[in-house]
Amino acid sequence: MAERILTRNFHLPESHTLRVYRETGGYEGLSDVLAMAPATIIETVKRSNLRGLGGAGFPTGVKWGFIPKGHQGPVYLVINADEGEPGTFKDRYLLEKDPHGLIEGMIVSAHAIGSRLAFVYVRGEYVQPWRIFSRAVQEAYDAGFLGKSILGSGVDLDVVVHRGAGAYICGEETGLISSLEGKKGWPKLKPPFPAVRGAFGAPTIVNNVETICHVPHIVQRGASWFAALGTAGQGGTRMYSVSGRVARPGVYELPVSVTLRSLISEHAGGIANGRRLKAVVPGGSSAPILTADEIDVTMDVDGLKNAGTMAGSAGVIVMDESVSIPEALMIVARFYAHESCGQCTPCRESTGWIYKMTRRIVEGRGRKEELDTILDVARRGAGTTICAFYDGAVGPYISYIEKFRDEFEALIPK
Amino acid sequence: MSRPAAVQFTAGELALVRRLQALYPDKRAALLPVLQLVQDTFGYISLEAEEYVAGLFDLPPAHVHEVVTFYTLFFQEPKGRHVVSVCHNLTCHLEGAPTVLAHLRMRLGVDVGATTADGRVTLLAVECLCACEMAPMLQVDDRYEGNLTPAKIDRILEGLE
Amino acid sequence: MPKLTIDGREVEVPAGTNLIEAARRLGIEVPYYCYHPGLSIAGQCRLCMVDVGNSPRPQIACNTLAADGMVVRTETPKVLETRQSVMEFHLINHPLDCPVCDQAGECWLQIYYMKHGLYEPRMVDEKVHKPKAVPLGPHVILDAERCILCSRCVRFCDEITGTGELGIFQRGDHSEIGLFPGKELANPYSANVVDICPVGALTDRDFRFAVRVWYLETAKSVCPGCSRGCNIEVHYNLRRPHHNQGHRVARLKPRENPEVNQWWICDAGRYGGKFVDDASRLLFPTRGRENAAREVGWDEMVPLVAARLRDYRPDEIGVLASPRMANEDLFVLKRLVEHLGIANVDFRVPPGRPGDEDRILIKADKNPNTRGAELIGLAPRAGGLDARGMLRAARERRLKGLWVFHHDLLASAWPGSEIREALRALDWFIFQGSNANGISPDADVLLPSATWVEREGTFTNFEGRVQRFWKAVEPPGASLSDWEILARIGDALGLGAVPGRAEDSFKSLAAGVPAFAGLSYRELGDFGKEAATA
Ligand SMILES: Cc1cc2nc3c(=O)[nH]c(=O)nc-3n(C[C@H](O)[C@H](O)[C@H](O)COP(=O)(O)O)c2cc1C
Ligand code: SF4
Ligand code: SF4
Ligand code: FES
Repeated sequence: MAERILTRNFHLPESHTLRVYRETGGYEGLSDVLAMAPATIIETVKRSNLRGLGGAGFPTGVKWGFIPKGHQGPVYLVINADEGEPGTFKDRYLLEKDPHGLIEGMIVSAHAIGSRLAFVYVRGEYVQPWRIFSRAVQEAYDAGFLGKSILGSGVDLDVVVHRGAGAYICGEETGLISSLEGKKGWPKLKPPFPAVRGAFGAPTIVNNVETICHVPHIVQRGASWFAALGTAGQGGTRMYSVSGRVARPGVYELPVSVTLRSLISEHAGGIANGRRLKAVVPGGSSAPILTADEIDVTMDVDGLKNAGTMAGSAGVIVMDESVSIPEALMIVARFYAHESCGQCTPCRESTGWIYKMTRRIVEGRGRKEELDTILDVARRGAGTTICAFYDGAVGPYISYIEKFRDEFEALIPK
Repeated sequence: MSRPAAVQFTAGELALVRRLQALYPDKRAALLPVLQLVQDTFGYISLEAEEYVAGLFDLPPAHVHEVVTFYTLFFQEPKGRHVVSVCHNLTCHLEGAPTVLAHLRMRLGVDVGATTADGRVTLLAVECLCACEMAPMLQVDDRYEGNLTPAKIDRILEGLE
Repeated sequence: MPKLTIDGREVEVPAGTNLIEAARRLGIEVPYYCYHPGLSIAGQCRLCMVDVGNSPRPQIACNTLAADGMVVRTETPKVLETRQSVMEFHLINHPLDCPVCDQAGECWLQIYYMKHGLYEPRMVDEKVHKPKAVPLGPHVILDAERCILCSRCVRFCDEITGTGELGIFQRGDHSEIGLFPGKELANPYSANVVDICPVGALTDRDFRFAVRVWYLETAKSVCPGCSRGCNIEVHYNLRRPHHNQGHRVARLKPRENPEVNQWWICDAGRYGGKFVDDASRLLFPTRGRENAAREVGWDEMVPLVAARLRDYRPDEIGVLASPRMANEDLFVLKRLVEHLGIANVDFRVPPGRPGDEDRILIKADKNPNTRGAELIGLAPRAGGLDARGMLRAARERRLKGLWVFHHDLLASAWPGSEIREALRALDWFIFQGSNANGISPDADVLLPSATWVEREGTFTNFEGRVQRFWKAVEPPGASLSDWEILARIGDALGLGAVPGRAEDSFKSLAAGVPAFAGLSYRELGDFGKEAATA
């Protein structure tokens, strides 16, 4: 069994407390890390091949390097705990079971990017995780791990825990920033990118919970150790959320070199009830679907990209032969229609339209040409929007129909 | 709990509002937390409350209304004493969300989006709550409940005053 | 200054220019809805896509700044295909309202559909329904189904007026433009949202269904509503005289002038032109009061006025010019009073209520040409009386004749009783103006003036900017431009060198008044020029 890094303490009762966290070595190396030069930390993170685990898979150290050199004035670190990608639930586990791991990661990362005020944006529905995490923040303040001159290092960090109010789009980093600023979660135009002009007009680094949880380990154990855990393009382990028709749904922390087949059949116990695998969504609902014979792929960013899909948030949704793919697409299309923020035209108008078409198809009222209409609309709309939400919707629209066209056609009256 | 009288914070609540506003580089950032406070205090966010909050933030009321109508967790109408939100996204759907919803509709005698006549429960169907490992699941007030069966749903309902 | 290539042609533009404006300089039109040069960049409509360099996907031109060496293509197959899809997206939930929509003829959905759309409709589902025909305020009415959610109107209220009345509520395809429930869109600039709305979602309650826009003609003009002198267009209707209750002037619209009003005008100015087609217009020269009033021709009237001016001593006569008069009028008047040696000349009358003013456009001085009157010199001449002094002198029978241009003295800050008493004590009282007002019934001679849309001329705004306005419609009845009436009277009094056209008067003005030296109609162009006001 490979080493577990982020989830190593999950089995311990009270793993969320400062006491247990410290007993298992937490905050131990922090003083030394705070004495390191920020540039050294950034360099280490770059060399570790840590890639963002929120969805886009962008190299974390590279993103940190985008903050304008010589910038005067505040820089903000924003933790994306708005977990909302269907099929994903790992950040909830981290908030509930290892909140101090996230806090330590924030202290190190904030030091690296020169931020003295960090925000944690927790989705509004996550009430228990928010309570547990907020309590941990208080513990950290009380123990001198947050606030002015942490452990006498001269490094300051304040943490504000901010709750969302129900909107998937606030997981998109600029939608999150709008929401953090007290507005609707409308994503912002890029350029400017958040690292240049983000929250409250200041350079801002948005990172996923899990990404940041990795940072202290990387800095303490070294870039090469972390890089060696993964593949050529991506270092480390990550937490796979496996759900659907498997025997043991749950969170599995594994090296990113694990294959989808091994994840499903070995770690998650294979398909439940002895049925046959039909399809898998490997990276949250926005990732294009894979068929049963496309699962011999490694679960790193590049492996899944080469397979025509994406690692996304590593939410793995497993469907067996009893699942109707058109019905699944209808459910997914309803989600995107419901969650489109409405800001830009292609996404606002076509998510609703495509949902209406898929619903009619499932209800047996589809028209012959409509499968092609959906494909055409989705292909043309892809890449024309303000944010990647719409491309995330296009992934399933196109892949479900292309890979399971027969099933759709069977529902359309002749 | 709800306090239905005219929308007006107490001195203590106003102090909390100011504390929240001071947490951020721009006080507007406290709008979501303060709306949450309004909802916790008054049960829902009325138009009157939106105007009141607009005043606390020096914002045009239309901008507060934009925010209130954008997020699903803000209620513009009084809700039940408990809110039961059933996840109907992909994994939960595959694992039986339609059955869960049908069972709840039958037990509560209301449709999705409605509140029981006695004001006890508001029933909602919502998008992914990110607890797919326990599908089918629902949220009842602050709590997640998963691996639902009709018997478990009945037990959950029994626990609601 | 970055130099870039657009559709194979090079252009150099100032740093910070976006690709829509850069293309415009080459006469290349990139279609767009949400962009507006006066507002922040929203990037919402996604119609302005162009190909930039080797980027695999088209980029929005509104949010892409021109950069040195950039290669932009606006008509590639990918761009054309994207535009067509974006048009389709804009229209799938759009109601089939065009036959009953006021915007028809100036709707950018119609225009761009013809240019960039023209696809086979394939949306068969029920469209999303939203509120229709909702009055938002005194001037603006909303049809939310027609709205394409470009957010221009929202940004206008946020960024220009700072009033923030409008918002986009809900999300996804239920997103809906509107006001906070129970509130009104009643800021002093509210109707600008009608101009910037690219479709028929926001329309003008005043103009609604009045005339189809394709029957309208346009004249460039300047708003006479205050001393800002916002540049406007006069839209008038001659082809369908029976439409719009016979009103010739259908509406006033802002005309872009970056130095004066950018793209905007205030509502007071926009709806302030009603007097032009009002029943109160003075149409014929008239002598005598009330029942004895008799309309006469100019050939009878001019000698009569000339005789009065000649038959009284200059110190028995007062002339109260108006800052509503054009420079051309004021200059002839100035020459005339100098010719006659009249020293009791003024143009200032304090208003009854102080005018409102803000930091956007609206000025407290509700006259378009106060600065012109100052520069040309219609203040009391040496030893002469000012306006209030003239009224006092009239009450004391020292002043015998008074010639008032345009002013309604009863709307001034002065007590009405004093004014009435003064006017009744006069031997004669000439009122010259376009419309009857509080004091015109007291006049025993009425000289009907053309309004500013019925003639040409110039106003000098509070900053000393001299701006032209052009003739849109004919003066009604026998009314004439003020300068022309004055020229005829001057001619009868041997003034000499009287102008035959407004421009002649302006030429002499430029020759005679140092502040205007070097200016000419040509020089002023469409947007005006600063007078030399040191
Ligand atoms: C529609 C949409 C939803 C997203 N939701 C999340 C989310 O719930 N959590 C998250 O961490 N990132 C989410 N992302 C990715 C973020 O935009 C951003 O890339 C990420 O937070 C950066 O952190 P990372 O580099 O550590 O992954 C989402 C992106 C899109 C386009
Ligand atoms: S792509 Fe969709 S979610 Fe993203 S900004 Fe546009 S409308 Fe909003
Ligand atoms: S009403 Fe007009 S200006 Fe306002 S958002 Fe809609 S289309 Fe744009
Ligand atoms: S004009 Fe560029 S996106 Fe609308």
